[in-house]
Amino acid sequence: MDKRPVIIAVCGKGGVGKTSISALLTRLFSEQSSKKVIAVDADPAEGLSFPLGITVKKTVDDVRNDLIRRIERGEQAGKEDLLKRLDYELFEAVEERDNLAFLAIGRPESDGCYCQVNSLLKEIIKEIVFNFDYVIIDGEAGVEQINRRVMEMVTHLLLVSDASFKGRHVVATIEKVARKNGSFKRVGLLLNRLKDRDEARALTAAVDMPVLGWIPENDLIRVFDRDGRSFFELPDTGILSDLADAVQRWVANQP
Amino acid sequence: MQLLDTLISEVNEFTDRKRDAGGLRECRVLDVLSWPEAGARDIVLKSDTGVELGSPKDVSVSFLLWTGDMSLVNDGRISIIGPDIGEAAPSNLSFGRVVLASVNGFNEDNCYDRYREMEFLRYDVSLKGYMMRAVSQYMREWSRVSREAVENGFSFQVLGSALLNKLRAVDYVESAEIIFVTSSAEDVKELKRPADRFMTIINAMTKMSEEMDFDCESCEYQEVCSEAEELQGMRKSLMEKQSRE
Repeated sequence: MDKRPVIIAVCGKGGVGKTSISALLTRLFSEQSSKKVIAVDADPAEGLSFPLGITVKKTVDDVRNDLIRRIERGEQAGKEDLLKRLDYELFEAVEERDNLAFLAIGRPESDGCYCQVNSLLKEIIKEIVFNFDYVIIDGEAGVEQINRRVMEMVTHLLLVSDASFKGRHVVATIEKVARKNGSFKRVGLLLNRLKDRDEARALTAAVDMPVLGWIPENDLIRVFDRDGRSFFELPDTGILSDLADAVQRWVANQP
Repeated sequence: MQLLDTLISEVNEFTDRKRDAGGLRECRVLDVLSWPEAGARDIVLKSDTGVELGSPKDVSVSFLLWTGDMSLVNDGRISIIGPDIGEAAPSNLSFGRVVLASVNGFNEDNCYDRYREMEFLRYDVSLKGYMMRAVSQYMREWSRVSREAVENGFSFQVLGSALLNKLRAVDYVESAEIIFVTSSAEDVKELKRPADRFMTIINAMTKMSEEMDFDCESCEYQEVCSEAEELQGMRKSLMEKQSRE
């Protein structure tokens, strides 16, 4: 039987550093050259391509809208033809670099219209990601996407918060919703942009969920983020190796 | 369908020209294929690719023609125009693939469904190190063969045999052959003429079967229907079915 991939969704309030964390995770996993990694940008703001140094030519939303335009123009196709066309065009939308692939979702689908197209897209995305060893999904801000069907396949939910009360409140809410859905193997919190170890200790004690680790406020990451530079060029100042250890233990289901 | 017989003859003329010019090689289908299956993980990433055929950036033509005339099809023949997979690696090539099948028992009621059944058999081909994505409406086929598969001897004989064996296992298929073209974009484009004509016929069938639209006055496929008795027969049969319901 083929091994299922580790599928990590990175969620949290807007502005806490989800995209930066997603980019760092993508780099960490893709440094294992024998593994295949795919990063999925599920944030409609589409920011993950920048820290990965990838240029997006086509999003899932582009594929969807093109097909809907064709249907509205009168082009007919049976369900099987539709599936194969979407499969082709979605694979064309996947950007690749070495053992890393990237897919940008674009705007989320609206409910009710062309639900068959939306449903087929989700099936195809699921089939694509199951070809990889690691899948990192950079999520939208907030809790809404937890209920979207693309999250059904997630094995590990990585919540990200900064020191703010609001940030921690959002992840607590997400965690509650996620536990109700019950499909994740593990849920963990990563505290980002903290002042120092004392703050980390205090916040870890204040939250009621497993904490993977914490990342201090980092000028280098901030500059790279500000300038839209690829995080693959980021020198390792120890942050990456610490993060790598914590994440590897987490995905291996070790304490 | 006589209209398709004309297209098959056109394809055969193309292969004859290539054969006469020394640019065509032939091999036979392998009745027993020992190549392992791909399983659920069939994606071949670019970084693992030995040969890429008919990518969206390259010319690609892929279609299947059927006939009731067995003499037009050389059963089990695999024709290769241009480099075989092992000879092409590492590279991206324009790609043409034509399947010719002789069939029995086709009529206006079943020919569309049976065509689609044959057409979709290629998606059932599962070969380790081989990935294929195709769109029938575009008549394009994009595939990648991994470096590992190339090193292990993956070839058009393996690929052709996998597909031909699926086709020949279908009860109404009496014989089938396959032609691969990788010689040049120009050669692949030569196949576009019969392919485009064929697509027009299929689009007419699709319009009738999927839309149940029989208004010939405003139909863009009037011309091809007027040339094909079988399409007219299909229209008549579908209209009768619709009026009974």
